[in-house]
Amino acid sequence: MRHFKVTSLIFICLLLVANIHAQTYQALRIPDTLSGTTFNLVMKDTFKQILTGQQTITGGINGDFWGPTLIVNKGDLIHMNVRNKMNDTTTLHWHGMHLPAVMDGGPHQTIPPGVLWQPFWTVTNNASTLWYHPHLHEMTVEHLMKGLGGLIIVRDTDEAKLALPRTYGVDDIPVILTSRRYDANNQFVVQNVSYGDYMLTNGTPNAAVSLPKQFVRLRILNVEIERGYDLGFSDNRTFYVIGNDGGLLNAPVPVTRVKLLVGERVEILVNLSNDAIGSSFDLKAYNSNQAFGFPGGEPNTSGQFGSLLNNIDFPVLHINVAASTANPITALPSILINNTYWTAANATVTRNIAITNGQPGPASVPFNFDNVSFAINTINKTVQKDAIEKWTVTNNNVFGHTFHIHDVEFKIVARNGNASSVGAYESGWKDVMYVPRNENVSFVARFTDYADPIHPFMYHCHFSNHEDGGMMGQFVVVDTTQTGTQTVFNENDFVVYPNPASSRLFVKFNDINTRAYYIRITNILGRTLMMLPQPELSNGVDISLLPAGTYFMQLTDLKTKSTVVKKFVVE
Amino acid sequence: MKPVRYFILIFSLFATLSFVARKNTHIGRAVNDFQLRNTNGTSTSLASYPNAKGFMIVFTCNHCPFAKLYTERFNQLNEKYSKLNVPLLAINSMDTFVYEEETFKLMCDKANSEQYLFPYLYDNMQTVGKDFHAEHTPHAFVIWKEAGKWIIRYSGAIDDNGEHPELAKPMMANAVDDLLANRLVQVPETASFGCAIFYRK
Repeated sequence: MRHFKVTSLIFICLLLVANIHAQTYQALRIPDTLSGTTFNLVMKDTFKQILTGQQTITGGINGDFWGPTLIVNKGDLIHMNVRNKMNDTTTLHWHGMHLPAVMDGGPHQTIPPGVLWQPFWTVTNNASTLWYHPHLHEMTVEHLMKGLGGLIIVRDTDEAKLALPRTYGVDDIPVILTSRRYDANNQFVVQNVSYGDYMLTNGTPNAAVSLPKQFVRLRILNVEIERGYDLGFSDNRTFYVIGNDGGLLNAPVPVTRVKLLVGERVEILVNLSNDAIGSSFDLKAYNSNQAFGFPGGEPNTSGQFGSLLNNIDFPVLHINVAASTANPITALPSILINNTYWTAANATVTRNIAITNGQPGPASVPFNFDNVSFAINTINKTVQKDAIEKWTVTNNNVFGHTFHIHDVEFKIVARNGNASSVGAYESGWKDVMYVPRNENVSFVARFTDYADPIHPFMYHCHFSNHEDGGMMGQFVVVDTTQTGTQTVFNENDFVVYPNPASSRLFVKFNDINTRAYYIRITNILGRTLMMLPQPELSNGVDISLLPAGTYFMQLTDLKTKSTVVKKFVVE
Repeated sequence: MKPVRYFILIFSLFATLSFVARKNTHIGRAVNDFQLRNTNGTSTSLASYPNAKGFMIVFTCNHCPFAKLYTERFNQLNEKYSKLNVPLLAINSMDTFVYEEETFKLMCDKANSEQYLFPYLYDNMQTVGKDFHAEHTPHAFVIWKEAGKWIIRYSGAIDDNGEHPELAKPMMANAVDDLLANRLVQVPETASFGCAIFYRK
């Protein structure tokens, strides 16, 4: 009797909990798009009605949870105006983008509250699905958890020639997967949480979307802290991988499941032509019974490494089939683009990286690479510009990890030394790879275009709790062919005019070969207001937003990396 | 043996799903009087209100979107409880060096344009925020005069629904009602959340 009563009580408790997160579908939010060549992004503290009752404190970029999708064209020179209106310092990293290290938004490019950061670069990436997110060391979990980030869609002419779905929000759908744990006040639990308990797809709980009865493209991104997704459809239908992190594959790859680890993107085509209008099915994570080390496969339902979603199969997006659109894509392209991949034989430099530490126990060092934890002033690797390198990451450790590298897209050439063990679904350009337990994975990349002996790029596990814990290293790309004589850079080497200025401030160097590496504008109190990495100065610096007053320009030159401060007045 | 195990199971279910880990409580601790610049041009301290039985002290600021939701409620709470000698004082302890939007000038502009009917005080040196251990905007406290001292009797949220006051349970006001009725505060501590207040070192 007593047994029965207690069991009923547990049942009632579970019902109450289930009620709070009732399974009524909500329309999948499709993030707004921004396109063009100038992008204004405002990062802020805000809140969002996610559950019933109290709103959840979130972070937003131009919105309340997760930012706009930036649509950029290969070949365009794009300018970013990133303003940090949060209370906290942060950074914004352009994940997957090939650009100068000083524009990359890694842990070194901290944006204090109130500051306008203005990186710019020419897009050289192929058509692909990239993303942007904060990357401040030891704060990545917290800032990502708040919902700061956004998708980037790169378009190019090769992709445009193909008969692929590309009407954003109609037959080309962003699907951004994450989950959260909530406290009793509906707030995200941030500390000691590797996995959330409830899905948020594009920030929407219990998300559902209507998709037209035709071929549909999903651009799926995993922005979890740690969880991987073994994705498939509830009717086990075959779908087609058309793109990896860095762009389209040579040809669609048919699959019924695809693993997507943190930071990875996959573009898939799904054929809805044979579905009845009004029918529905689910995109699901088939995360039950994974091999040990798959993140999210742990059996616990609570605690730091537990979750209500661990080791189960669960829906991530409910799909309702609707009428087809006016010009539907009705056929699967047999070929996509013609990629020329580097092979292991092309590599002139070989590097081996071991995943180390992270053993349980009070005296343990968190996970790191080669027994060295991230240190902001330590450069771990130096790469020659244009070198083709093969990196092998070995995981003889206690759990699965991912490996992400900035600056380049790479080609996975071997798993456990075998080229044939690399999955067809991961045969394209990648910037994040899954390194399961007891495996080593090799990739080849070419480090072109941007050399900077001071400013590093990062490589790290993309589990943000691991990278915050020090599982990250830094590399610089150097160009030894550029020697040049080092000269002194001092305050007589340039003038700032007009003074006083009103809308634009110009810099004139005495030596026309002098280039600015970094400009920082501060006010009289020393508060930084604007940060301009490697500014192009021919049109001057737009200072129209600065109120009248006295300011300082801290200018660092490219060649000697010396910083000179000049005062100027805005009227 | 079995019932004990089930009890533990139920308890752990509640522990994980219902309760928040509590930090060191500040309930029952005395706070110091202060003297702060008021956006009405005067200077305000607790001693400025000789008849006060207690105060609702709310830490807020100019720019935080979640804190901004509460302006009208602050007016109403102050209107209702000032008459009962429990006025509301709003204090801005944000670091004005770091946050350009938190200057005294902008506080005055905001208090004027949004018709604040309660004092909006500038904690320039962040000493009051530190004394209360205010963590977020908004973070609400109820302090009560006991044997000549100001004792914290409530700390946490103003209520439990920022966007929909009509649905909210008014925890801070409930604490004041309890104190006015000479009752123990039923819920003396809740979680505060909003924008973090960072203190200068």
